[in-house]
Amino acid sequence: MSANIVLANMQAGITYQVTGFNTTSEDYATKLYKMGFVEGTPVELSSVKIADPIVVQIRGSRIALRKKEARQVLVRECNNA
Amino acid sequence: MHKIERIAIAGVPNCGKTTLFNSLTGARQKVGNWPGVTVEKIEGTFPLQESRVELVDLPGTYNLSPDTEDQKVAERVIRDGEYDLIINVVDATNLSRNLYLTMDLKERTNQIIVLLNMVDVAENEGIEIDIDRLSKDLGLPVIPVVAVDKSSVKKAVVAIEQRVADLPAHDSHVSTKEVMDTVKKYAHIDAICGRVAREKKDRSENLTTRIDNVVMNRFAAIPIFLASMFVTFWFAIGLGSVFIDFFDIIGGLLFVDIPEALLSAVGSPEWLTVAIAGGIGAGCQTVATFIPVVFFMFLALAILEDLGYMARVGVVADKFMRKIGLPGSAFIPMIVGFGCTVPAVMAARTLSSKRDRFMTIFMAPFMSCGARLPVYALFCAALFGAYSGLAVFLIYLSGLFMAILTGFFLKNTLFKGTPSHFVMDLPLYHAPRVSAVFKSSWLRLKSFIKRAGTIVVTAVFVLSLFNSIGYENGEMSFGNEDSQSSILAHAGKAISPVFEPMGITKDNWPASVALFTGLFAKEAIVGTVNALYSSMDMNQATVAEVAEEPAELDIGGTITEAFTTVGEGLVGVISSVDLLGLGLIAEDQETISEEIGASSSVYKHIAANFTVFSAFAYLLFVLMYFPCLAVIGAARKEMGGYYAAVMAIYATLLAWAVATFFYQVTEGHNVVYILLSLLTLVGIYGWLYLLGKKEQEKTLALAPLPIIKNCS
Repeated sequence: MSANIVLANMQAGITYQVTGFNTTSEDYATKLYKMGFVEGTPVELSSVKIADPIVVQIRGSRIALRKKEARQVLVRECNNA
Repeated sequence: MHKIERIAIAGVPNCGKTTLFNSLTGARQKVGNWPGVTVEKIEGTFPLQESRVELVDLPGTYNLSPDTEDQKVAERVIRDGEYDLIINVVDATNLSRNLYLTMDLKERTNQIIVLLNMVDVAENEGIEIDIDRLSKDLGLPVIPVVAVDKSSVKKAVVAIEQRVADLPAHDSHVSTKEVMDTVKKYAHIDAICGRVAREKKDRSENLTTRIDNVVMNRFAAIPIFLASMFVTFWFAIGLGSVFIDFFDIIGGLLFVDIPEALLSAVGSPEWLTVAIAGGIGAGCQTVATFIPVVFFMFLALAILEDLGYMARVGVVADKFMRKIGLPGSAFIPMIVGFGCTVPAVMAARTLSSKRDRFMTIFMAPFMSCGARLPVYALFCAALFGAYSGLAVFLIYLSGLFMAILTGFFLKNTLFKGTPSHFVMDLPLYHAPRVSAVFKSSWLRLKSFIKRAGTIVVTAVFVLSLFNSIGYENGEMSFGNEDSQSSILAHAGKAISPVFEPMGITKDNWPASVALFTGLFAKEAIVGTVNALYSSMDMNQATVAEVAEEPAELDIGGTITEAFTTVGEGLVGVISSVDLLGLGLIAEDQETISEEIGASSSVYKHIAANFTVFSAFAYLLFVLMYFPCLAVIGAARKEMGGYYAAVMAIYATLLAWAVATFFYQVTEGHNVVYILLSLLTLVGIYGWLYLLGKKEQEKTLALAPLPIIKNCS
């Protein structure tokens, strides 16, 4: 079992899974939650080369997030990836 | 079997609801919609079960607990049960994101039919979907469809008719036991997707990602954005102005020449002929000349939107928008503002926080809209000569700068508070659908023509009335057109001291009066300046002459002439890339006066009454002051009367301060006025600050008592 990192620090080419939120903003967490950022959902950094905002692939969608705000989402490397 | 009278179409953004809606209803739309997004429900009808049923297209939403105003519209319609059946459009290429809404809908009603859209695209991408299995797992009828393909839609309608009969009895009180939390819903969806969908290819490196790699590239993003704006302007104004002559000539024929001939034929009194053909008719002709530019601007923006590029602009813009405390998505309504400010104000609904929405609405009017361009063109042609293009470009740039300044002002005063986060869904790119794009542009154009037409006709009518009523030595009289004694002239002179610091002299009262008609619509300034200046040197005799002269009506010849101009114009536009209609401006005064429907004597007056600097100051004022009434109306609808009023006052004061500062620094050199304009700027800031403070106190007073924190 690998350690938690934040969404903003994901590396390209590795599949992660969402493990939770570390946030003070209820709105932000709820919004992402409803968009499908629930525990266990696979997520990866999209290959789009843009530094900030970052673009992630989740549930077949591309979602752009600010790097600073993406620090509130916790992910972990998928072991079976 | 129950009877279906009203059907709502629900789905996530970009799943093809509107395409399906257009395919079903044909040309039978009741309400138009603005670019940016479907921000209001749209209604239409289509035949089902041998009768016409009402169809409601809802704004796209991911779930039924939405956080933006446009999505709340969708939630409200579904909550209030304003339907007999919901058609849930589901994008076959992305079941996982789409089915969440289906789950939410299932909690509210059991009258749902799922239309699985874009099955063709899914197939191409190597996704196989077991439709029977999906239907069984969802417990809902599922019908595959390709919304862009008419025959596929026809088949789907037949299928809907069959399935309607099998629907269970209407039951909107679905038991709360079935309500699941988000995690369970997604677990359920994942399970369904695992059973019904099979993906063959690796989809990560598809076309959309490849395009995004270029479009949002760290270095190329801004140049590409600027290039796309350049093409938009070139398309709208360059291509649009090709048709200006055409509309001018046809408009002149329809609204001026023909009514004139008809009225003379029936022997109407001369004053009536002049009033109808010369006044109202000429006003309509002026509106007609704007039609092509406005249409092409709407069309260009609709194409950008349909392509999926707007969302990327939001991402690229986020870097600098966050500096004024706004999400990048707030930049999209502002681009829409280059077309028309009304839809820009409405497009702000897509933003989630109230603060973001209000700030965007305050900033949007500074993006120079299509209706202001004819005013710039008129003044630049009279005074700036070869530098006209540069002058217009500088005005657009000033507008952008003022929008940013407004952002900084508001961020620190009226709209303090936490800047909101930025999350943006990037849809798949797809080729713009010709019929959909044209249809939406046409609907927007129609409402523009209606609005502008009514305003120009009314403004010209009221103006000519006031221009006719005179007041001299305590006596009222009629027939004072063109004289210095008309009420209009008196009023114009009375208010001109206000505009004197920005370089409008007392003798130049028509310019002041034009600012008043500009309140209704900024394009009305051209008509007013034109009418008042030309009336200044026209005596009654020439008016009569003009009225008698055009008895010969050559309809065929005029129409031929109109078409010739389009041909000539097209050759011109192809041979030169014409940004911001610079070609329109660079042309000699004779041509331009024809193109924007002004008489050439107006240039002499503009040149005589303005200097280069006072004209630029005047144009700055026109750019910034009171957004037209339609915008204030839209702003009131979105923010309430209080903020709409604050916005109007703010814009007008800022316009005065900036125009005065510019004029006094460049030409007036009056230290008192320079200080006054700077003081006004400080005053505006202070005023907004106080308003913000008052507002904060109000919310604090209304809010429940704050929880007392640990005092240690």
